[in-house]
Amino acid sequence: MSTTQFTGLMASLTRQRGVLGCLVVSERDGIIVDADVRTGVDDAAVAALAAALYRRARLCSEAAGLATVNFLQLEAEHGHICAAGRDDLVAVVVAEKGAPVAQLRTAILQAVELLA
Amino acid sequence: MRARVSEAWVELPLQHFADQSRVTFALLLQPSGQVLGQFGFTRAMDVMAACSLAAAINVTAAQLGRELDGTPFRELHHAGRERELFIAEAPSARGPLVLLAAFDGESSLGLVRLYFRELCASLAAAAAPVLASEDPTKLDLGENLERDLDRSLAILFGRARPDSEGVISVPPSIPPA
Repeated sequence: MSTTQFTGLMASLTRQRGVLGCLVVSERDGIIVDADVRTGVDDAAVAALAAALYRRARLCSEAAGLATVNFLQLEAEHGHICAAGRDDLVAVVVAEKGAPVAQLRTAILQAVELLA
Repeated sequence: MRARVSEAWVELPLQHFADQSRVTFALLLQPSGQVLGQFGFTRAMDVMAACSLAAAINVTAAQLGRELDGTPFRELHHAGRERELFIAEAPSARGPLVLLAAFDGESSLGLVRLYFRELCASLAAAAAPVLASEDPTKLDLGENLERDLDRSLAILFGRARPDSEGVISVPPSIPPA
C-alpha cells in the first residue's frame, strides 16, 4: 500500500473507535484526494456530497456573520459524518453510531492542522 | 426549469440529473451530434453548436485515448475560471449517448460525476428496446442525418411534435434552426 502526504493524518483518524472510513476531499471539486474506507462505503458519493455540505455550511456560517466553520457533524440514524477543513481540503470521517464523537472531534481538529 | 427532449424516454433521467447535480446546462446527444434532450438552453442555435462541438470533442477524445492508452478516455473535464465542463459517454440500450454538462460554483465535479453515474443507470433502465434491424452502435451519417438533426431541434423548441408512432413532422413554413 503506497503512502501519501495524508497517510499519517488518515491513520490518526481511522484508528479511532467506531470509524468506518476517512477521506481527504477537495472542497471545490468534491473529488477524493486520499481515502481509506471500509468496504460498503461509497467513497466517491460520500466525498462529493460531504464536500458540498461542508461548503454550504461554511457559506451559511459566513453569511450569518459567524466566520468560518470549525467542525461539522451530521448525525444520522446509523452513525455520524464529521468534517473539518482548511484551505480547499476537507477531512471527512464516517463513523458508526456508537463512536465517541467528542474524541473524534478532537482528533479531526488536530488532524486538520496537518492539511495544507 | 424543465428539460426539453426529443425522445420521451430520456426526459426523467435528464431532469433528475439536472435537478440533483445543479448544472447550469446539460445536453444529451447521440455520438453523431443529434440532440435527444437539453436543459438550460434557450436558443436552438446554441444547442446546435454545442451538440456539434460535443460530438467532435467526444470522438476526438475517444481516439486520443485509444492512441495513448489503448482504450477511449471515459470522460473529459475542463475547469474554467467561472464555469466547468464535463463530457462523458453514457451507455444505453439504444447505443452510446454523450452527455455535456456545464456547471459553476453551485455544483462540483464530484456531484456531476455522482449524478452522471445515476443518469447512466436510469438511461439503461429507461431505454426503449432496440429493433432487430437496428444496430445501436452504428452512427447514422447517411442521407437522413441532416433531416434528423433539424427534426430533433424542432421538437426541442416546440416547432414540431412527434405523432403517436413517434414520427416527427416539421411544418414546411418553419425554417430549420
